[in-house]
Amino acid sequence: MELFFQSVINSFIQGGFFALWAVGLVLVFGVMGVVNFAHGELVMVGAYTVWVLHSQYGIGYIPALCIAVLLVMFIGLLMERFLFRPKQGDPLGGLINSIGVLFILQVAALVVGGTGPAKQVAPPFPGTLIIQEFLRIPNQRLFSIAVAVAALLLLWFFLTKTKLGWSLRAVALDREAAALQGININRTSMIAIGVSGALAGLAGALMAPISNIYPTMGHNVIITAFIVTIVGGIGSLSGAVLAAVLYAFLHTFVTAYFSGTIATMCGLLIMVLVLIVKPTGIMGQKVSE
Amino acid sequence: MRKTPKSVFERKFGRRRFLGTTLAGVGAALTAGMPRISLADTKTVKIGMNIPMTGDYAPWGLPGLYGSEIVANNLNAAGGVKIGGDTYMIEMAAYDHGYDTEKSVQGFKKLVLEDDVKMVMMLGGSTVASIVPWAMRKKMLTTTLLPSDITPDTPYLVATCESHPLYNVTGVEWLAEKNPDLKTAVIITTNDIEYGKQSAATYKAAFEVAGIEVLDTNFHGFDVVDFAPIVSSLLAKKPDVFCMATDVYTTPIVEQLFHQGYKGKIVSCTLDGYQDVIAKTSKEFVEGLVFQFPDFDDPKLVGGKINFPDPGGFDASFNKDHAGEWSAVAWEYPSILLNWVEAAQAAGSIEPTAVLEAMKANDSPAHTFGPGKWWGAELWGLDNAVIGDWPVVAINDGRARIQEFRSVYTWCQTNVAELSKQMKDLDLRIA
Repeated sequence: MELFFQSVINSFIQGGFFALWAVGLVLVFGVMGVVNFAHGELVMVGAYTVWVLHSQYGIGYIPALCIAVLLVMFIGLLMERFLFRPKQGDPLGGLINSIGVLFILQVAALVVGGTGPAKQVAPPFPGTLIIQEFLRIPNQRLFSIAVAVAALLLLWFFLTKTKLGWSLRAVALDREAAALQGININRTSMIAIGVSGALAGLAGALMAPISNIYPTMGHNVIITAFIVTIVGGIGSLSGAVLAAVLYAFLHTFVTAYFSGTIATMCGLLIMVLVLIVKPTGIMGQKVSE
Repeated sequence: MRKTPKSVFERKFGRRRFLGTTLAGVGAALTAGMPRISLADTKTVKIGMNIPMTGDYAPWGLPGLYGSEIVANNLNAAGGVKIGGDTYMIEMAAYDHGYDTEKSVQGFKKLVLEDDVKMVMMLGGSTVASIVPWAMRKKMLTTTLLPSDITPDTPYLVATCESHPLYNVTGVEWLAEKNPDLKTAVIITTNDIEYGKQSAATYKAAFEVAGIEVLDTNFHGFDVVDFAPIVSSLLAKKPDVFCMATDVYTTPIVEQLFHQGYKGKIVSCTLDGYQDVIAKTSKEFVEGLVFQFPDFDDPKLVGGKINFPDPGGFDASFNKDHAGEWSAVAWEYPSILLNWVEAAQAAGSIEPTAVLEAMKANDSPAHTFGPGKWWGAELWGLDNAVIGDWPVVAINDGRARIQEFRSVYTWCQTNVAELSKQMKDLDLRIA
């Protein structure tokens, strides 16, 4: 039973991260129709920013986190303006451009951080919350999950209660109809990738104190984000959050009771099954041509 | 008339002035602070490094190049190396294969055919396997850090420094001797054949010999983003010893052990960047953590049987220029370079076959931590790995400190049957 309860806790924490990774990817795909393959690398940039500012230059963790969010948001805006906008209506072109960015960011990380062992950030919130001797939650993870949930709630509020959020959803539903209603598509795209970048930066900054930081850490992020996005329903934000939590439970429990390799295989298998049986995912909607 | 960049250059640095300044500079460089060697007598020998300098495996390549350059520069500054009747300056020629097998072949051929290197140092694994057919036909002296790359068909491939993962046995042996009450262990490692499984098999053999039962072995992929579930699963077995046969993920794993309240002993293959581990846990938690790779400013590396010139100076020099980039290979490739120098001097030649012959003719080759022995026939079919003593390192008061040196050779000679059995159980190739 000890392993079971600890696994439940582990699942919720992982779910928060998975959701944060996937939601940004979903947002950009929904609004811009672009699969941003560099999304994982944006997370990596967030983590590196915290490592540089907090661990190397001694800036406080929270200011470093805020700068990471702003920096990655800015990179996202540059990508939209110079890479995705010229390729509007050409999803393949956008995809290839994002792959180019992926490599550039990896090399940039190598230049900034050098080689050697993976970079580490000492946890700014050390210590462990001990509920029972067998049920423990590191304070850093508690902080991360709280911030992740707050960010997702904020995003939900933004999308459902603000005019800008409505315009984002309108463009995601029907680009042309939205444009006919006077919604500025370019500006909406900028907002979408800005929010996506900010979430990626936040995810990286939250991950920095609890995981290895290295130039290719984005690979694992993007694979998980894809699984979650497809299972949740491409373009569905609520689907992504639900799928993130479900996938985190599946992955954690299979890892704990069988092995991590089998857990990853299960995730990919479920993604394939969803594509065959219900291509719209758990909460995606079928869109007529 | 607009001045062109050329005219500006000519005005400021006339041809005569330029030539005069250059000659004066060259003259000064050759006379000031340099050893008195006649240029006519000095030749250059190139040593190749076909290693990953980018990508995930870069930490096991690039620091080795930095280290080798420090050692080569030191040798050159001391007047070069006398081999036969000639004095040689050593030049490192490196190629980045990014741990890609095709690029590895390309790099190897470039180093041999274009750069005319006399030895090629490599990391090991699939990138070595890919060059073996061509390298062996060319009779090119090649080195690896993974002796498991050696087969009866690789007479020109040697492992003269790191004998991954054989040295791990010393840590377990030492731990068991100091703590006779330890009865059970769990092992965590990566699920690759080249590093993870070799290491797991060796640790299993070491635990078996030490009378410690291995309750579970977790082989994980390189895609783990959170070690909490794996660590929870292993801790549920209540082990006395938690063994990390892996090297990439030691920090997040120890961090999880700390947060999940583990109270037993920890043994690890490596613990590069252990200060980060301490920062993420506590000095008290990692006290006594046993691993295999010392800091090079360790007092026990001074004098005695150590075959590495001024380890402390090397450590300081490396960390001055490449702070934060240290990994075990930082001293391992230079150590192999020193093996080459010793053998080339004995051979009186820089030619690969002659150097190899001299290496193999030496019954007691200079290994970093003392005299070594050629070994490996019983496990891989050829005695092409040098094994000898290896340090057992433990964290004491926040510093990695050598506890003692133990003989890997003696352990292997005594327990090769158990080692073979464990390798076979994990489907690893043995002779």
